[in-house]
Amino acid sequence: MDQKRILDSGKYLNEFADRINYLADIKGGLEWGSLKELLQRVQNLRSNMFDLREDELFVELDQIDRRLEYMEDLVAQDLSPIEVVNIVRSPQRFTLQDILENCYDSFTELGGEGECNIDPAVVVARATITRRVKNKIYYHQVMVIGHEKGYGEEFRNGGCAKPWGNEKALRYMKVAETEGIPIHSYIFTPGAYPIEDYPGAAQQIARNLFQMARLRVPVVAFISEGGSGGAEAIGLADIRLMASRGYYSVISPEGAAAIEGRIKEGGKVPRELVEHCAAQLKMTAEDNLKLKTIDRIIQEPPLGARRNNFGFFKQLRYEMVRATDEVVLQTKSFRAFRSYALKRQGKEKDNGRTFNDEFDIHIKWSLTESEKKRLVELRSRKYRALGKGYKELRQSVLSRLGHAVESVKQNYYDIRYGLLRQHSRQVQKLIEEVSSEGSVFLKTVTEPVREAYDFVFPKPKVANGINQYDPLRKSIFMQEWEQYISPLANEDKTVSCPNAEKYGCKDLWVPDLYGEFSGVCPTCGHHFPLEYQWYLENLFDPGSVREFNQHIISANPLKFQGFDEKLKKAVEHTGRRSAIITFDASVFDIKIVVAMLYSDFRSGTVGSAEGEKFIRACDRARTTRRPFLAYIHTTGGIRIHEGTLGVIQMPRCTLVVREYIDSGGLYIVVYDNNSYAGPVASFLGCSPYQVGIRSSRIGFAGPRVIRETTGADVPPDYHSAKNALKRGHIQGIWDRREFRKNLFEALMTMGGPHLYYK
Amino acid sequence: MQASQQIYSSPKKTATIFLKNIVKRDKIIIANRGEIAIRIMRACRQLGLDYVVVYTEEDRCSGHVRAATVEKGEDAAFKISNYKDPNEIFSVADHCGATAIHPGYGFFSEDFRFARRATVRNRPISFIGPRWEVIRDLGSKINTKRIAKFLDIPVIPGSDEPIYSEIEAEALAEELFQKQREEGIKRPSILVKASAGGGGMGIEEVTHLDVFRQVYRRIQNYAKRQFGDEGVLIEQCMKDYHHLEVQLLCSRHKEVVHFGTRNCTIQSTGRQKRVEVAPGFDPEYVHYPFDAAKVLDEIVDYSIRLAKEVEYDNVGTWEWIVTRDGKPYLLEVNTRIQVENEISACISRISRQKGPVNLIKEQIRTALGEKLRYSQKHITFEGTSIELRIVAEDVKRGFAPWCGTITRFEFPQEPWLRVYTHVPHDEPYEIPTEYDPNLALAIVWGQDTEEAKIRAKDFLTRTRIEGEDSLGKPIVTNLAYLKQKVDDVLRFL
Repeated sequence: MDQKRILDSGKYLNEFADRINYLADIKGGLEWGSLKELLQRVQNLRSNMFDLREDELFVELDQIDRRLEYMEDLVAQDLSPIEVVNIVRSPQRFTLQDILENCYDSFTELGGEGECNIDPAVVVARATITRRVKNKIYYHQVMVIGHEKGYGEEFRNGGCAKPWGNEKALRYMKVAETEGIPIHSYIFTPGAYPIEDYPGAAQQIARNLFQMARLRVPVVAFISEGGSGGAEAIGLADIRLMASRGYYSVISPEGAAAIEGRIKEGGKVPRELVEHCAAQLKMTAEDNLKLKTIDRIIQEPPLGARRNNFGFFKQLRYEMVRATDEVVLQTKSFRAFRSYALKRQGKEKDNGRTFNDEFDIHIKWSLTESEKKRLVELRSRKYRALGKGYKELRQSVLSRLGHAVESVKQNYYDIRYGLLRQHSRQVQKLIEEVSSEGSVFLKTVTEPVREAYDFVFPKPKVANGINQYDPLRKSIFMQEWEQYISPLANEDKTVSCPNAEKYGCKDLWVPDLYGEFSGVCPTCGHHFPLEYQWYLENLFDPGSVREFNQHIISANPLKFQGFDEKLKKAVEHTGRRSAIITFDASVFDIKIVVAMLYSDFRSGTVGSAEGEKFIRACDRARTTRRPFLAYIHTTGGIRIHEGTLGVIQMPRCTLVVREYIDSGGLYIVVYDNNSYAGPVASFLGCSPYQVGIRSSRIGFAGPRVIRETTGADVPPDYHSAKNALKRGHIQGIWDRREFRKNLFEALMTMGGPHLYYK
Repeated sequence: MQASQQIYSSPKKTATIFLKNIVKRDKIIIANRGEIAIRIMRACRQLGLDYVVVYTEEDRCSGHVRAATVEKGEDAAFKISNYKDPNEIFSVADHCGATAIHPGYGFFSEDFRFARRATVRNRPISFIGPRWEVIRDLGSKINTKRIAKFLDIPVIPGSDEPIYSEIEAEALAEELFQKQREEGIKRPSILVKASAGGGGMGIEEVTHLDVFRQVYRRIQNYAKRQFGDEGVLIEQCMKDYHHLEVQLLCSRHKEVVHFGTRNCTIQSTGRQKRVEVAPGFDPEYVHYPFDAAKVLDEIVDYSIRLAKEVEYDNVGTWEWIVTRDGKPYLLEVNTRIQVENEISACISRISRQKGPVNLIKEQIRTALGEKLRYSQKHITFEGTSIELRIVAEDVKRGFAPWCGTITRFEFPQEPWLRVYTHVPHDEPYEIPTEYDPNLALAIVWGQDTEEAKIRAKDFLTRTRIEGEDSLGKPIVTNLAYLKQKVDDVLRFL
């Protein structure tokens, strides 16, 4: 027996070493406390194990154990946000593989296993999860989709999904939808892998979000490591659970620190700044619950769950089943049944902790058609209510009156363009059928009908887009845009075109360049950047721009230190209160709704206010049946200072866009200058009509992030509109000088059947 | 022979006339080369204005550089890399303190951006030419056509704005064919042009409606590929017409006068003018099937109407075509001084002004803001003037330019003759291959057309040009061609 205990002590020692290393992981090194000394003791003991007397050995083991327990308690008592991040990053933390093995009864991986896989960072499995009801076992089929970080295997890429990994996820989501089984998605990613191979990281995430917005099966997500856009690619769920020691953030604390501290590439980011940022980003489970970006926390052991915490897996299984039940039950029409069934089931067990694996009743997870409709509705309602970290300025009575008008308007448009339009189409069809069949003879009959019809439903006035001769405006050279001259033009100097060497462009005189040439090199067509006001003045019919929702303003919902000052500066600099301008406008008399992200205000980053204004603009376009244009002067991504409140704008806005497109509208996105990250990977990238202005750059992550993540440099034109077109992200490239004309053509020829002028 | 003495009288005698009026501080930078630079220098001299010239490496031996340095010293000529680089020319202007710039013809003369830049830059320089807005608006044939139509001035039937739709284009083509048939034109045809094109690129003639669509598409594709704009113009193809010009002079004070008309019908195959004659028609010399005097009056009146509408304010040429049945159509406006300006000056007399008329001098004066100080009633016309452009080219081989060295260049001296050339008389001259092989301009005056013709032929007979190319072959010029063509002037053949 003694011999056996001595042999066991080897195992103990290994376990001790693991625990010490785990603490070192959390604390950022062995320097903390007496970890180094303790580890030394363990190593000494291992080499002297057989030289020591048995009782001595056990005393020593006991001592180490107690010391470790003490230290673990100490660490657990006061976990800082960066330590939570360290827990998540520890190689000892559980992964999706552990969940598949422990929470599901059987599973079959789809799209490859291990290294032989389209993207080993994304695992998809058809799995069976069981529920015990009074000693009877029921089986549920689910589609498990998630990131696999692996136990240090390099091919897993740390759980960073490549575009085709996310595509694989999307493909099996559709399979799940076809088969009518719920989706359990597990988020274990520090972020998507920022490469622009087909169709581009951002574009694939946007496609995923667009599909998930209306996926007709329940989706439950569980977040352990929620790294921004990568997380959202499979994270648009009906219920979002989060591990108590997980993190869910807009950016890694290191990335935030590099931006906040303006650290140059390759420079060292101070540890204190990283810790500071980790705290400011509000990335822990508790923070996220407060921000409502998640629905529930799944309790882990105090120092986080590791591969051998079987109790945790048991609980996780219970919670996943219960969450799926909840989603399913919410779609049911029997309210009483719903509330009964949703009561926390099972009994208290295990030192008062609520984990349990027994249910009172069995609930089937398949949905009827009407339930599916309700599921999608509820999902929309859920996300619309999220991420409201903006401020609203007090409005005057008049504009508050506007809300009442708005709801009346909704009814008006429904009748004007809905009911009547449908009716008019039928009448038209009838006339066409009758007149085609009835030849000349019948014409006498149909003609008066047609005339009467034309009188009742006059065609909306649409001006001919091409220059009409106006004797007062004698010159055809007088382009619309010469009415507004960029302030950049007020300088008597010349600049060289960046392509001068390649195309032999002549030096450009600045007043010509920014005046008549609209910032375009006449030789090679290179577009020099122009301020957003230029577009406001030149793209739309003069005087037609009417801004709305100016009372929704950017705020500092996370109380991010130092951000108030930055916000103030941006407000002073621009005279505006958010990075988005939403307005009604018209293009050759076609009324449209526009959302414009512009660079001057915090680099066009998207936070709660921007998201909310975008959503309201999109809804406005839907109720008034107008086309919706998103013109992106520049966007730098999601505003990191709003943490996950910013990230949640991705699924949120995508959902609203999806509803608009499904309602038969026309959503056009035009990228200019620089468009990167979150917004491109969601509500912009999901548009069927995306266009780049020449010389613009479109992508997921900038060159610096790519270099730092992948270790490889990228060519200078990696993000160019041309390459975005080649990889299948955008649908065309427009010249700035033809923007207005092309937009008009697009408005006339594209879009769904429910536009007011169709 | 009184008039001819006027032409040839020494410039020094008349130089003092306007000295008291012109702002003497003005200094002109002459941004051109060759004979026009020489003529501008002469005008400056007459006005008592300081000037500088620019030249490129190839032109360092050219007459304009020699003349400038002989008169003003080495500092009056600046070497630049390219006549077409505005940055370089403006920095020379700033360096030497020039206050006005004369673009001559070609190069920047009709570049409204250059004119605009000159006037709005931090150190403004007077652009000797019309306001830049005028250059811009009349620089486009389509735009000119539109304004003309608006003012009821006849223009060539066809589209007055780029057409983008095939249906529209076809309808217009059909209409044009129909119209020509109604007018009894035997072989009606139309031209399809790329609207963004110019200089003869992207133009095709269509003689049958059946092939129109095919040609239209071809031109549209060409235009899109070449100019990035698929706009197409369609107009009636004119044949059998005379090419006439109306010479106008306007001031910044809304004064408009004309200096008669010219006939520039004799052109090379590349549409380069070779023989010009003023006035535009001469009913006393040849019989026309229409009232020629009336047509001339008409086109002058129309030209003035347009000039007044756009507030034209410098010299300008209104180009017209007049068909055999005497119908005029406005073609375009050249917002610059033209090579052939002097034949108009030659037949004009200003009763209030002593000495010959010099349009370049008038151009500089008006551009610097002076008033004309005379009106149309002070301008009278006398005689006929013919301009001959002597070019080293092989007329029989499609007017191909000849390259080589000129060893002898001699022409007669006559009171009725004026010759402009940048080719030196005293040393061999190698024709720079970078520019047109124009050798000389000869302006002949006669009491009437018959006399002018005889004198022109006389001049051509007595002119000696010798030289050889790198293979030792003798020079080829168009002297014989000119002599033959002098007989054709002013006639509908």
